[in-house]
Amino acid sequence: MPIDFARADHGDTTNLRIAGTLDVLTAPGLASTIEQIVEERRPKVVVDLSGLDLIDSSGVAALVALYKRVRAVGGQVSVTGARDQPLAIFKLLRMDKVFLL
Amino acid sequence: MDPRTIRMTAPCSLRHRALAVRLVAEACRLVRGERSGDDLAAGYDVRDPFDVAVVSAFAEIYNNVALHACKGMVDPQIELAIAATPDGITVEMTDPGRRFDPESVRSPDLDALPEGGMGLHIARAMLDVVDYEPGPPNLWRLSKRRVAAVEPSVVATRTA
Repeated sequence: MPIDFARADHGDTTNLRIAGTLDVLTAPGLASTIEQIVEERRPKVVVDLSGLDLIDSSGVAALVALYKRVRAVGGQVSVTGARDQPLAIFKLLRMDKVFLL
Repeated sequence: MDPRTIRMTAPCSLRHRALAVRLVAEACRLVRGERSGDDLAAGYDVRDPFDVAVVSAFAEIYNNVALHACKGMVDPQIELAIAATPDGITVEMTDPGRRFDPESVRSPDLDALPEGGMGLHIARAMLDVVDYEPGPPNLWRLSKRRVAAVEPSVVATRTA
């Protein structure tokens, strides 16, 4: 399944839903959305991964970039809904604590 | 040649990555005794911890081979040989690309939230064996034993 992502803003909160596969092939497709979120200095970003089936290190790198860049401009990032393979990868890389999973 | 070995030859490119990963994912289901072939999931069905480990590790190694070892080559091909038994799985992948020294790769500093250099770390952490023999062709050998699930009643009997 290819990546499927959608952004929705509600007040100060930006919800970013990512579903399917986030990997070396699909992660670059998120770059412009991440760029927009950072440029707009969104104060709170919630990444919903409940529909994410697979992730690789390139996908993790995209999420880490989002996390670092949003925080660098004063925002907060939280990740919700990670399960199965993506959750196992986050735990292995100790990012479950960073993302407050 | 072991007639039970699953084999595939494919272009070594990211475009064919999903094909190879899907094959490994389905081989994992065979290891676990699930049917495969006529009931393919609509997407990846990678939930069992054994499948998670093997598929995650293989995908990372494939990325490295396609992105680095075979970069710039004209029509490189990989060859996969998968031995799937109830005891576990061994995936051998050969590529004609540039040699690589796995020992030169440092473990990532996870506290620094790295944005790269995590692939080999993931593979090593997920599998029992991650071997590399420089070529040509280069050979990656990835293995994981399967720990059979123990029935709760058996556990209760043993601990009583």
